[in-house]
Amino acid sequence: MSETIVATRGLGFSYGDIVALHAVDLDVPAGCIGLVGANGAGKTTLLKLLLGILRPRAGSVWALGRSVPAEALAVRARVGYMPESDCLPPDQTAADFLGYAAELAGLPARAARQRASDILGLVGLHEERFRPMGGFSTGMRQRAKLAQAVVHDPDLVLLDEPTAGLDPEGREEMLGLIGRLESFGINSIVSSHVLTDIERTCTWVVMLDGGRVLRSGPLTEISATGEVAVEVLDDPAPLAAALAAAGAVVETVGNVLTVRGGPGDPFDLVRDALAATGTTLRRLGPRRTTLEDVFLQGGGDG
Amino acid sequence: MAEGVVYDLGYHRHEGSRLGRPGALRALYRDGLRRVLGLRRRARSKVLPWGLLAIAVLPAAAFIGIAVLTRQFGVEDVTFFSHADYFDLTGTIALLFVAVAAGELLVPDRVHGVLQVYASRPLTANDYLLGRAAALATVVFSFMYIPHLVLLLGRAWVADAGFGSYVTSHLADLWQTAVASLVYFAALAPLAFLLAAYARRPAIAAGVFIGIMALSSPATRALVVEAGFDPFGLFALQQHPVVVKDWLMGVPSAHLVPQRAGFEPWVSLAMILAVGLLCGLMVARRYRRPV
Repeated sequence: MSETIVATRGLGFSYGDIVALHAVDLDVPAGCIGLVGANGAGKTTLLKLLLGILRPRAGSVWALGRSVPAEALAVRARVGYMPESDCLPPDQTAADFLGYAAELAGLPARAARQRASDILGLVGLHEERFRPMGGFSTGMRQRAKLAQAVVHDPDLVLLDEPTAGLDPEGREEMLGLIGRLESFGINSIVSSHVLTDIERTCTWVVMLDGGRVLRSGPLTEISATGEVAVEVLDDPAPLAAALAAAGAVVETVGNVLTVRGGPGDPFDLVRDALAATGTTLRRLGPRRTTLEDVFLQGGGDG
Repeated sequence: MAEGVVYDLGYHRHEGSRLGRPGALRALYRDGLRRVLGLRRRARSKVLPWGLLAIAVLPAAAFIGIAVLTRQFGVEDVTFFSHADYFDLTGTIALLFVAVAAGELLVPDRVHGVLQVYASRPLTANDYLLGRAAALATVVFSFMYIPHLVLLLGRAWVADAGFGSYVTSHLADLWQTAVASLVYFAALAPLAFLLAAYARRPAIAAGVFIGIMALSSPATRALVVEAGFDPFGLFALQQHPVVVKDWLMGVPSAHLVPQRAGFEPWVSLAMILAVGLLCGLMVARRYRRPV
């Protein structure tokens, strides 16, 4: 695993009697991290604990190698935050507000203005930079919110429901921007209850449910089933019979067979059965499940 | 429909210096000044602050003009009003200004969720409040002090004794008006901030503040003078800074409600400080967890 950007040990937080996070242990690597869970799962609470806005009731949390909230100000200087709700003053222009947001993170005034201009270009608001943000559409507002989160060139950016309220085209653009952050050297934690967004952008997933961690790991591991999917061009029956005879469990839907169990490597079983039956192969690969399936199954065995 | 075009200009990391919390505080202070004065905002945002400043300076400027004119006709020592008198005008203007400015400084940030941006920057909630208060203090102090400077320098300009002699002999006016200006800020701003910390609209905060201050004098006067409840003299909020100002400048006065209730001027000063402290603590509590 690469460098850990966020770690928690026994982290707990409650709003009065309502437990928002319970004994959360996490080690999150650098990269684009998905934080998924239903509404009320504790995603936003975790982000606010990482920023030091909330103080843990139990346990410890570290971000970028620093303890929070003890070193919250140092952490915030290198972290960006895009809140789920509105955070833009309607009477200010995007250029003014972004320059100010960069200065608030400690950038000198001239560098702040330059970066504000650059970032507005990056998120596609360069033409709108001198318009008061009160007149922005939802898509433009989301992009301005993302811009203020990265304008000071943070090492880590926390994005809370970044695609909320966007139409399909706006969602595509936002996911494209988020996907590019890693290439800029900016790690990101993307909180969302839209699992397909996480599947498209993230390499590591943390699943929360009722304030507890269901799963935390690489997306490829979480979505892996240990099964092999085989699509053939011919009649699948002989192949299915050969695989069953070899001890595998086979499910057939149309021309697609799902193979699990059996002795040895399932890919070897499929290869041998294909050769024995002379079936023409169209596609062969590990069968992956969706995050939604994993989530609905309660996080699997994690 | 596409709402913009994403131009790929590449991304460059910031390799320069980072100023940390001190830099953030300076930015916060500058933003407060801009917000209070309506700078980098629509023209209508500038009307009130600059209009009030013009009204505050106008009498001093008019006095100088008249003094210069009358001097040409052999009339000397024209004096329309003293520095202490001038506070009656600038004090009222400061009250109106503080009422509007406190709401502008605090309410929009809270209502529009901008506090979330501050909370993600290297600033504490107290940093935010102190930065806002410092910006308001700077502008209110300037509001109240600049007219006195204009008046003093104008008088020095037309003085028979000469500019330097006049200024030297009136140095006490300089510090007395400066301290009195700060006293007015301390008497007005904390309550205005407290109301703004809870209001949903700046206009409501301003209206309630002006209402409380305007009603405090006649209400406490009736309770003290007519009903004989002297302790209510402590709640003549608008008159405490006037009492302290007269005390500072050596102006004899006995008509103000706290004085009618039998309180010494230092009690008015203590009341200003106590109300300020209480309001400050309540505002800090309100912003303990801003988002």
